[in-house]
Amino acid sequence: MNIYQPHLMRIREITDETIDTRTLKLEFEDPGVAEHFQFSAGQFGEYSVFGEGESTFCIASPPTRAGYIECSFKATGKVTQALRRLDVGDTVGFRGPYGNHFPLEKMKGHSIVFIAGGIGLAPVRAVIWNVLDLRDQFKDLTIVYGARSVGDLVYKRELEQWAQRSDVKLCLAVDPGGQTPDWKGLVARIPTAVEQTVATAEDTFAVICGPPIMIKFTLPVLEKLGFPGERIYTTLENRMKCGLGKCGRCNIGPTYVCKDGPVFTAAQMRNLPQEF
Amino acid sequence: MTHKFLSHQELASLIGQLLAAKTRVIAPVRAKDDSSQLEYQPIQSPDDATFGVRLPRRSLKEFFLPPTEVLLHYKQTKAGVEIREVPTEVPPQVIFGAVPCDAAGLAAVDKVMNWDYRDELWFGRREATTIVSFLCNTMDATCFCTAVGLGPESSTGSDALFVPVEDGYLAYLVTPKGEALLQNHGTEATATMLADAETSQREARAKVEPNLAAIPVEFATWLASNFDHPVWKTLALRCHGCGACAAMCPTCHCFDIVDEHISADEGVRRRNWDSCQTGLFTVHSSGHNPRASQSERFRQRIQHKFSIYPSRFGEILCTGCGRCSRGCPGGMDLPSIVGELVALAQAKPEAGGQ
Repeated sequence: MNIYQPHLMRIREITDETIDTRTLKLEFEDPGVAEHFQFSAGQFGEYSVFGEGESTFCIASPPTRAGYIECSFKATGKVTQALRRLDVGDTVGFRGPYGNHFPLEKMKGHSIVFIAGGIGLAPVRAVIWNVLDLRDQFKDLTIVYGARSVGDLVYKRELEQWAQRSDVKLCLAVDPGGQTPDWKGLVARIPTAVEQTVATAEDTFAVICGPPIMIKFTLPVLEKLGFPGERIYTTLENRMKCGLGKCGRCNIGPTYVCKDGPVFTAAQMRNLPQEF
Repeated sequence: MTHKFLSHQELASLIGQLLAAKTRVIAPVRAKDDSSQLEYQPIQSPDDATFGVRLPRRSLKEFFLPPTEVLLHYKQTKAGVEIREVPTEVPPQVIFGAVPCDAAGLAAVDKVMNWDYRDELWFGRREATTIVSFLCNTMDATCFCTAVGLGPESSTGSDALFVPVEDGYLAYLVTPKGEALLQNHGTEATATMLADAETSQREARAKVEPNLAAIPVEFATWLASNFDHPVWKTLALRCHGCGACAAMCPTCHCFDIVDEHISADEGVRRRNWDSCQTGLFTVHSSGHNPRASQSERFRQRIQHKFSIYPSRFGEILCTGCGRCSRGCPGGMDLPSIVGELVALAQAKPEAGGQ
């Protein structure tokens, strides 16, 4: 089997997250592959619709839930629009897992602040559920999640589950103008929401994913709180074709997002050429 | 390295035997559309080959990474999707008359294709192929192989290197594949032949060396720390972003993966050559493009060849063949550009950038 050949997976469940974002729950067709498939939170794959091509997304489900993977995507291009046309029972291709992952082992015994904007919650969600499934191995957990509007919040049923848990502090925010009359969360952008929610950087790791502009303005807030760049983790996304370090597309200077990433610390990002 | 003498007649009979055994033999031949040009092509008879006239217009890359190739076949059925694999094993083939810069290009791409994940499509062809390079004596002002650590006599990536001597060739057998090819051919070389061959190699080197001084090792570090140097803004002003340089380059290996329908429910997934010089190469689905301007894309080309790849694999991703300069419609000349950058790197620190 050559390295570009995907495994076949069946769509078991489709969840519409927003008007344009959808989550697919996928199971391997080959039970042998399913049995041996392992990954870590933060890793990504190449998902394909046969006849349309491949597209790169993170694995949005946690490795603690065996037997399936999930991916969440916004229908923006040829492949994602084709993925959206598929139904439960249809077949997709999957190559992966590729890349590095969030350092869960390092975070054990410490507190974590999760910060996400829009569909950036997808990779963070994999870590959140991973950590929640091993809840007693971590200290305080805080989730700050926001989107442009209430309608743009993804994983709404899970946001409710997190809101109800006493062992998670959840802060939801929408941009000014994006609230509905019955919105109970903050009306603020992410940096402000972080400022109002996160009290200390002591003994705490930060995991942050979202649009580049959100990350750009949130990093100074985290630094002011006292987070060293080495304890802030994020994922970078660049256009990829192979995911294997060969097609020559995703590098930022000497750093290959597909092999050295997609997970980077804020300290590493500072040292990258500013070409992303 | 062992060596042998092979007369012109013996080379012709070796090629004839290979062809008779249905082995594919590839050699430089006159291009059908332009007899002044050579291109590597499968030959039908030893007489088809044209050795030592000029650099073939395209590199050997296309025989290992075809401009387009099928990665898999798919078929939609009522039950789901069926995938048919493509074979990675290919029949043996022999290339005669490779220029050393083209053979070296394959050795450089090997490292990428074997980087953690092994590309069996590439290596299937690599392993099936025996490459016989000929000492290059057709260099022109655009060649700069000696500046990138190679030379017209370089055996990097070759299984055998043939150096013309009186009445034939002195054959240096570089790898077991090279030895196997000449197992039943050739005779012992005389001391005169060896001395003549060494003189030819020295003379060939001397013809290229004045074109560009050897690129210093520190150049890679300078490039890495001068990503934002103002020179990048002006270097690419003549670049059209057409990607001709990448298509002609023996080491450029970037590719795209696309699906193609054959019918409503059948099709293929293909790998096609691509180039970092085109505007859409890195564009995100959001519209964001990390390399939005041609100066950024040209910087990527230079950085990749002279800094990024060297930082990973310890050598330069350029064999100095000069095809990018000859083929550029905008007149971008890589040896001049590299020379200019090396001069900047060697200038006094305060003049060297940021």
